[in-house]
Amino acid sequence: MVLNKNILALYFLLFSLAFCYSQENEIVKTDSIPVNKLDELIVTATRNFRQISSLPLPAQLISKQEIERSNSLRLSDILNEQTGLITVPNFGGGEGIQMQGLDSQYILVLIDGVPLVGRSAGSLDVNRITMGNIRQIEIVKGASSGLYGNEALGGVINIITENPKYGFNGKAEYRPGSFNTQDFSTSLNYKKDKLAITGFINGYSSDGYNISDSEILNTVEPFENYTLSTKVSYALNDKTDISLSGRYFNQNQIVVATETLAGESDINEWNTHFKANHKLNDHWKSYLEMYITNYKATEYLDITEGTRDSESFYDQLFLRPEMRVLFTPNATNEFTGGIGFTRETLNRTSFSETPEFNSPYAFVQYDSNPSENLNFILGARFDSHSAYESQLSPKAALRYAFTSKFSIKGSVGYGFKAPDFRQLYFDFTNSTVGYTVLGYNAVPEALAQLEAQGQIANILVPASQFNEQLKAESSLSINIGTDYIFSNNLKFCLNVFRNNISNLIDTRIIANKTNGQNVFSYFNVNEVYTQGLELNTQWKPLTNLTIAGGYQLLYAKDKTAEEAFENGEVFARKQPASPAFQLKKEDYFGLYNRSRHMANLKLFYAMQQWKMDTNLRTTYRSKYGLFDSNSNGYLDTYDAFVKGYAIVDFAVNKTLFENYRLGLGVDNVFGFTDTQNISNIPGSIYYGKLTIIF
Amino acid sequence: MKTIQLFTYIFLFALLASCSSDDDNTPPLQEIESQTITNLHAPQQGGQGEPISGAFTKFDFETGTITTSETDWDIAFRGTAIIVNGGTSLGTNDEPNRSGEAAAYIATGTMASVTEVNTGLFVQDSETGYALPSGSGNSWYIYNSDTFLITPIAGRILVFQTRDGKYAKVEILSYYKDAPENPDPFINEGRYFTFSYVYQPIEGVTTF
Repeated sequence: MVLNKNILALYFLLFSLAFCYSQENEIVKTDSIPVNKLDELIVTATRNFRQISSLPLPAQLISKQEIERSNSLRLSDILNEQTGLITVPNFGGGEGIQMQGLDSQYILVLIDGVPLVGRSAGSLDVNRITMGNIRQIEIVKGASSGLYGNEALGGVINIITENPKYGFNGKAEYRPGSFNTQDFSTSLNYKKDKLAITGFINGYSSDGYNISDSEILNTVEPFENYTLSTKVSYALNDKTDISLSGRYFNQNQIVVATETLAGESDINEWNTHFKANHKLNDHWKSYLEMYITNYKATEYLDITEGTRDSESFYDQLFLRPEMRVLFTPNATNEFTGGIGFTRETLNRTSFSETPEFNSPYAFVQYDSNPSENLNFILGARFDSHSAYESQLSPKAALRYAFTSKFSIKGSVGYGFKAPDFRQLYFDFTNSTVGYTVLGYNAVPEALAQLEAQGQIANILVPASQFNEQLKAESSLSINIGTDYIFSNNLKFCLNVFRNNISNLIDTRIIANKTNGQNVFSYFNVNEVYTQGLELNTQWKPLTNLTIAGGYQLLYAKDKTAEEAFENGEVFARKQPASPAFQLKKEDYFGLYNRSRHMANLKLFYAMQQWKMDTNLRTTYRSKYGLFDSNSNGYLDTYDAFVKGYAIVDFAVNKTLFENYRLGLGVDNVFGFTDTQNISNIPGSIYYGKLTIIF
Repeated sequence: MKTIQLFTYIFLFALLASCSSDDDNTPPLQEIESQTITNLHAPQQGGQGEPISGAFTKFDFETGTITTSETDWDIAFRGTAIIVNGGTSLGTNDEPNRSGEAAAYIATGTMASVTEVNTGLFVQDSETGYALPSGSGNSWYIYNSDTFLITPIAGRILVFQTRDGKYAKVEILSYYKDAPENPDPFINEGRYFTFSYVYQPIEGVTTF
């Protein structure tokens, strides 16, 4: 925490310097009223700028204005308020995103178009991303491997950082809140003619909280983290510009295992991204990119007397050069093509080796408007890979506008998620309980070794079955939707979706150990589907009042489980010791941690005469199951469920003297908690926020 | 008119009544009822890697009681293990001698739905394993290593052939004393079986 104080001091120094500068500078540009919604451009869906309203794919955009008005701190805060999105706490801490009923390991998260790495058991912690320097967040739902390859099985979230405005300007923000949560951000920007430079720093710390009964462990232990990012762009001439950006993230958190066992976990993550854009002529544009990122996590536990108990590390390096070409023969046709190469290495504890993935890829996309009312996109991507089967990911999308107010759209796409390092090379034995988990490729050697040590009682799946490669998990996703604009003040969007996932990778027992525990490995076993519908509506009854509402209906089920229910193979008891009875097909609830219904309602009200705005945001999720409580192996209606709940957030912001903005708010106004089941909702959070623009 | 109607009704009634009496020409089965045994104590010594020992608690279907008889028992309990009075010993400490022809198999269903014995499925205890195999998920229970709880698997019906060739079906309901609603392995004492069973006393009848 000493470090924290130093940084805080540095921050106020910077802050006052910046303040002085702004006093000198008379030409003050404040953030004007946000741009017209129709002009919203999105780059994630096609890798070229497109108006979101004209897209044939289901896409969503979260504006800077919404992030600012909601006073969001981390990516998880704002994503949780979007229709059909929810963050789910991961057992190792952190929160992963769930989209269309698919969990975090199937959602690709990008920053300025390049992927974030460093997943814990497949889950990417969206709390790693600060909202301090974000221009907008773009969300594309449905399989998107046709453009993005691996991991884009369920969808893509692209976080677009702020670009500097003309002149010298900046912003400083400070938000203290409950649980001694401190968040500060400062960005400094400079832009003149050919050169643009931006620098950003964010610090975020909290004392954590405890909603459990434990007096030793906290639900979330104290932590602090910093984000530093910078970007320099330069226009070499009117046809070529280059940019170089870098980002560094550091997090430090206390780890408590037992009364006598505690330590610390550290995350160090950095990335560098070089881009060169060249416009050959009116028809041809080319883009060259080079991206490197490294995610390093370490953790240690010490016994109270001071001796080291255990240490672990995770060090992932990801490198990707990519070249793209955009060819626009005329105003109605557009071709995009690209080639690239991904190289990944991972060095971590409990691994049988230091594996390396190499994957060259190529993609093409054709975007056409044969008539004013019709737009279609065809595309495909080919990913070759050193450790699993090559993947061809086609996609097609079409939008037809019957009138300027009514349109329909549909898209079909293939998505895949390659077996990750853990699923292939893990070699882990739990030291307290004694079970073993082996990666698919690690099985033959590790199993033979365990056998030689006399630890195996009997083998259920012989090692010879592991000669074939583990297949990538894949999905066929279909989205059909319609947009209906009643008037400028009222519009509806409806999207019906279905994701068919094959070759889902799950763990299975492959051998029994002599200590009574089991050896697990990974298999392509299940077939799963998620289907449902999403409804979004926006209504502006007054010029300064916006009401937005959203709803998602979701069925996420395992096909094998469905069959077991249909065949009458599943039983349950009303009470633990009452006679069993047979369950019916409709008693199968579906996958864990999926709610049938999720909804949100947001009211944004601006009071221009007071230079104030206020908002009330409500999110709801219906009941869901976390585990099989009646030991029949399935989540059925007789299991114990986590009750449905609603969370209400309130914020009010006021602009003072043009450049100052004061915010006050309460997240989770009614203090909802479920201490037994929900670890990421600590109760009400009260906060204040000061923003200075200069 | 009314008389004709009346006669029609009488005629129809007589017809229906005679039909129903026709269906009942098989002799009625002896009424067999489901019985419940509570808190059958099945202690053991050892376990958790140590050799298991201790006397089995023996049960006789015919009398529906626990017995100490050397020969007149059908099934016996020790910890989570259930053995039958048929076949050979697995060789663990204190296993009783098998003198009868008891056997067992596991059926999937409920007490109401498992109504017929499939005699082809019966297995006896042997040197390599019990007729009802030990281990979590293999026969009647599942062990949760997070909560340390032993839960009888819903939908598993244990079908037995008794020592003298009759049949019985059993549903284990609880492994904890007094079959608590929310058993806690740290509070509720384990190795107390509560189970319901149906015994078919007539020799050669394979239904219950």
